[in-house]
Amino acid sequence: MPRVTVSVRDKGGRTATATADYTIAPPVLGGYYLSGGADPTADMAGGNFRSLTQYRSFADGYIFPGYRRPWLITLGRAGVQMNMVLELKHYGAPNAGPQTFTVDGVTHTVPAPAMTIQQRPGTTWPRAYGYSQVLAGLCDGLFARALSQYRTLGFGVNIQLASELDTDHEFGTTESGVTYTWAQSDARAVQAMTYVVNWFKARQLPAGTTFSVGVGGFDRACYQRTHPEALMAKLDFLQWNAYATSPTHTALARFRRTKDWAVADLGPVALSRPVIIAEWGVRVAEVPNQAAWITTVPAAIAQLNAERGPRIARTNYFNSGWGTLSPKSTGLAALRAAYATHPYV
Amino acid sequence: MAAPTATASLNAATYSPGDQMILTVTYGDADTRPVTVTIVVTDAQGNSSAPVTVTAVIDPLALTVTDDSGCTWTRASDNGSVAVYRAVA
Repeated sequence: MPRVTVSVRDKGGRTATATADYTIAPPVLGGYYLSGGADPTADMAGGNFRSLTQYRSFADGYIFPGYRRPWLITLGRAGVQMNMVLELKHYGAPNAGPQTFTVDGVTHTVPAPAMTIQQRPGTTWPRAYGYSQVLAGLCDGLFARALSQYRTLGFGVNIQLASELDTDHEFGTTESGVTYTWAQSDARAVQAMTYVVNWFKARQLPAGTTFSVGVGGFDRACYQRTHPEALMAKLDFLQWNAYATSPTHTALARFRRTKDWAVADLGPVALSRPVIIAEWGVRVAEVPNQAAWITTVPAAIAQLNAERGPRIARTNYFNSGWGTLSPKSTGLAALRAAYATHPYV
Repeated sequence: MAAPTATASLNAATYSPGDQMILTVTYGDADTRPVTVTIVVTDAQGNSSAPVTVTAVIDPLALTVTDDSGCTWTRASDNGSVAVYRAVA
């Protein structure tokens, strides 16, 4: 850590000395996600893409590297930093029942997911392994399966537990017939996330393994509830997502919203952690000129990182859903240009 | 004679390469005093010159800034009690 030393000396030879330490952080990692978890290699080729978000359900038998995703190993071994979002959410495959499988010679049986999340009225509520199921140890087999596969990758990843707890809990949750409010769901999730992190950390992990908890970051109270110091002490990153969904949304405002809440509400351990923006994007319906908006992102990130509070370390563009680049070639060119400038280089 | 005092603070704890870093130094010494000496020369006949003033500092302070990473800090301002230095990360 560099140290600057200030010395004041008077005519009599008496001196006073003061020091200030600082660190020079590596450049922010520009990152990406391609719709459907598809192979992003072609889109990233030749650009300064150094980070990637991926999504997997613990229910899936193929978590690392994923089903027919050998490119993930290639990219990871080439140094692309992986943010692997591992979800208790079941993605809706037909086999939503109990599972029995063998991991490293040990047979595990895991019950059917017993919780519903994302209970938006008028929609079909997705299933997820319940927080009570996790705490009862019923999902340990899922974690063992994921870990066994993880150990074969050959590199460490960030394990982001859940994609967006606020989105999952916004309309309450239900497990085994018991309903929980948003706030109750947050509290239960913190217990379950703590359990999962402890489970992994109690076992040998690939070098470079880090952990975070996924939150969209659109609700201040939820962000505070899901980031208690006791949990943050076990985690390596803060995380939130940032989208422009209105012509009035500036990059600076969108990236800073959750940061400002964090700085105001969270404790010193949480604020000592750098930030992964697992998803950022521009919704073309409201912001037709996606490229122009993307151009403003590097300066916004640089400004936020120059201010007090946690430092944004990775920003992964979400080329899917709200962030779908349209036309893709124009948006991708803007993204490449952005990642070729300070603070990404 | 009193000993001088100094504090140093940076505008951030972590910088990205290329960021401007700002160091603020607050310093002083109880003995340090600016003085103004006014001189009037008077001859034997009582003719006096126009007053001439000179300024001086009693027990002036010398401020140095070093960085163990080799980074060069440049003084941007110094009013005698607060000095601001800048460097590029």
